Amino acid sequence: MHILRMRDVAYVRRGETLVSSANLDLAPAQRLTRLCSSAREAEALAMMGAALARATAGSVTIGEYDPRVQPVHCKRIAAFVPHDPLPLSQIDAARYIAYRAALWDVDPARARKRAQELGEQLDGLHEAFAYPIVGALLPAPQLLVLDRPPSAFVPQILRAAGDCAVLIVETEGRT
Amino acid sequence: MTPRALRAIVSARLRAERRSLVFACAGAAIVGFIQPHGVAAITDPLTADVATRSVWLAGPMFFCSTIGIAIALMQGPGRHAFLDTSERSAPLFGRELARAKALAPVLCATLAAFVYWAAQFLSGFAAPPAFFVLALACVIASTLVALNATVSSGAARALAFVAAGVTIVIAYVLAVYADAYSTKSGDAVGVATELIVCGIIAFVALRQYGESLARYDPL
Repeated sequence: MHILRMRDVAYVRRGETLVSSANLDLAPAQRLTRLCSSAREAEALAMMGAALARATAGSVTIGEYDPRVQPVHCKRIAAFVPHDPLPLSQIDAARYIAYRAALWDVDPARARKRAQELGEQLDGLHEAFAYPIVGALLPAPQLLVLDRPPSAFVPQILRAAGDCAVLIVETEGRT
Repeated sequence: MTPRALRAIVSARLRAERRSLVFACAGAAIVGFIQPHGVAAITDPLTADVATRSVWLAGPMFFCSTIGIAIALMQGPGRHAFLDTSERSAPLFGRELARAKALAPVLCATLAAFVYWAAQFLSGFAAPPAFFVLALACVIASTLVALNATVSSGAARALAFVAAGVTIVIAYVLAVYADAYSTKSGDAVGVATELIVCGIIAFVALRQYGESLARYDPL
């Protein structure tokens, strides 16, 4: 059984091929780092892996679901952490956690407790990078997709993810 | 979608747009105060009725709808990327997300329309409450139509803008002329016509927005 499977996946945007013929298999609790040649390719691949973007060609399966047909089911399984940090000038961490907990219908008290635990596990990582990861892990997803995370903190992030499958999409040459 | 998720999206969007909301209300208050309310001496009762209605309705309908359209356009992708990403990655259907995302600009536009009406009231030219309802229907419908421009590009985006403008004109014509010319049957006919037309436009626009959000590609 696979939590994420991509077969000959291509992504074309306005005539530009961002992803061509990507194949990927990720089992539950497995960790996988995928290198991409550009930031745009990495972003496209990560978004397809989290059911946020639809493949132009090929097939993507998240759990047992096709994101083109059942995107909501896929989003219950997969969580996405964007490359950009959280703009703390626009929203503070506590409010962000409450907002994410409400979107995924996580009990507020449980969300606060879980956020505190995850925050301690991600100690050292700047809040702007840590809280999107905390927010993504709140609903206990089965798959965590990280778009170019801070490389130095990847071991910490993987520890915080527990037994959740993790796909890290990186660009070549980035350390 | 749970009511809690709906509240979370609406409150996050309203908080993100709080400055715009203050500017919108301030603008509505100023224009409501300074808008000329005088009507030239007219002997024909029908012409006088149309002139009065147009003076009462032109300001709130055109100005507050423009505010609604501007706030709707601010909901487009990029302005609050972290909200967009969180909402898109949440397990919500397009129509659910559309309803929640639409509620914030609609509430802002409604508040601006109310402030405009209050300013008219304080300056001694308050329109009857039915006129406020007529203006509000126009503001909500045009705001919802304009939301479609945020998830489209090129010709579709231009079409959404034009449709929002046409919505305001249709609502204004119905509110002023249908209302004035239906006096024999009572104002209810004119009021109902405008409200029904705006309701249909708003319903179709919201559905279309939901469809567009479900198909929307963030890249």
